[in-house]
Amino acid sequence: MVYLEIMLTGRHFGVLALMAIGCHGAESMDTSNTPMTEPQKQGAVFLDALSVPSPGEVFTALNKACRPNWATLVTPATAPVTTERSQLALAVGVLTANGYVAVEAQDGQQVKNVGRELMALSKSLGVSQSLIGRGNSLMEFAENNDWDGLADELEATENEIKNTMVEQKDRDLVTLTSAAAWLRGLEVSTDVILASDSLQGAGVLYQPELARRIVSQIDALPDRIKRGVLVTAVKQTLETTASLLENQDSKPEPKSDILRKNYTKIHADCSAVVKTILSSSSAALPASHSPAPISNPSKS
Amino acid sequence: MRKEKLIVLIMIPILSFPGVLQSKDALSSPLKVVEPISMEPRRLALETAGAFENDGFRIRDGEWRGALSKGIPAFLQVTLFAGENYWFVAASPTTGALLRVTVYDASGKPVKSEFWHNAANSEGTRSATGVAPTQSGKYFIGVERMKSPNEGPLDFSLVYCYK
Repeated sequence: MVYLEIMLTGRHFGVLALMAIGCHGAESMDTSNTPMTEPQKQGAVFLDALSVPSPGEVFTALNKACRPNWATLVTPATAPVTTERSQLALAVGVLTANGYVAVEAQDGQQVKNVGRELMALSKSLGVSQSLIGRGNSLMEFAENNDWDGLADELEATENEIKNTMVEQKDRDLVTLTSAAAWLRGLEVSTDVILASDSLQGAGVLYQPELARRIVSQIDALPDRIKRGVLVTAVKQTLETTASLLENQDSKPEPKSDILRKNYTKIHADCSAVVKTILSSSSAALPASHSPAPISNPSKS
Repeated sequence: MRKEKLIVLIMIPILSFPGVLQSKDALSSPLKVVEPISMEPRRLALETAGAFENDGFRIRDGEWRGALSKGIPAFLQVTLFAGENYWFVAASPTTGALLRVTVYDASGKPVKSEFWHNAANSEGTRSATGVAPTQSGKYFIGVERMKSPNEGPLDFSLVYCYK
């Protein structure tokens, strides 16, 4: 069966553009009608670079749901001074997400700062050689206020750091970078949503399965990494977040008090863990850092 | 002296018959010969997705690549957002082949989509599927080989763009 549903003018424009690039006689095509089997769902590939949405993607969705004041969300951040590779990998994720916030706020100076900090981090991780060009590109795009180019370059920089980690047999660190970027994105997004009386954009964050998936990836890390204080804190935050998201109604615009309470807790937990990731003395975590166990907030 | 003789004895057959390093047994050794990864599927996929950039779509930097056997679709898990528009583009350098891209929701049901694929006589094969999800959450992208001029596995690359 062919579904030719009119969705958005822009999408049809895209199809027309495709037809114009020399694919003579483009034609519509049948789609699969058959639902996936359970083994197919279980066996689906999960790729860090595509299965985890980039912070830029989350922010684009938020821009559609509400109108965040991005300028108020820009936070100057510096890379932590540490030799702990797990923390450095987590910090790459947080700083990349900060870069996206700066891009949304169109704050060129802040993007440059993020670029410099990312280069410092990659140097500490020993993955900087292939990234010099990326750093220069970030600066150049920021100089020219090329915000779309900057968003693309930020994702490319993050992926290049991850690829170099893989090449240097540090594949495990990639999971941490993605987890941290997602948590920082969540911190910013909950900030935006909580600022609205009607919790506009709340539906965007309904991603409990993704949180669970990242938790399972952390669980699969070697003991020496996953038992670190900071990684344990990240995992606990993700677990709490997943539980809180699961305990909400998945209706597009839920407006209950429960939702506000849940998002307030998610925001507080994410803020605490992000702050610790960027702290230069995170070895000793504050006792208040670990997210408190939740007791089924939907019933509270 | 004995050691030097031994090294010479080992080196003579290797230098005389370099193919020995590529023998079946040698493939499991550290001297394994790795075939270069073809960038052609990715190039074609990005070229096709590039058409959407003019319309404000942003292409994700990542890529899913693989090889499709006859009758066995491959699936990728993604997270999509309500209100966003997406195009998933799959490409293969094999001219005359045909790929089908289907988007499934979390329960595994196909989602209403728009489809496009290139004409049979153009370079390689390229197919695209566009969706505008109404709910945020987990989705699956299925890629199937509908036809291929060759019997062997069909290399493909998938990229996606969003707006």
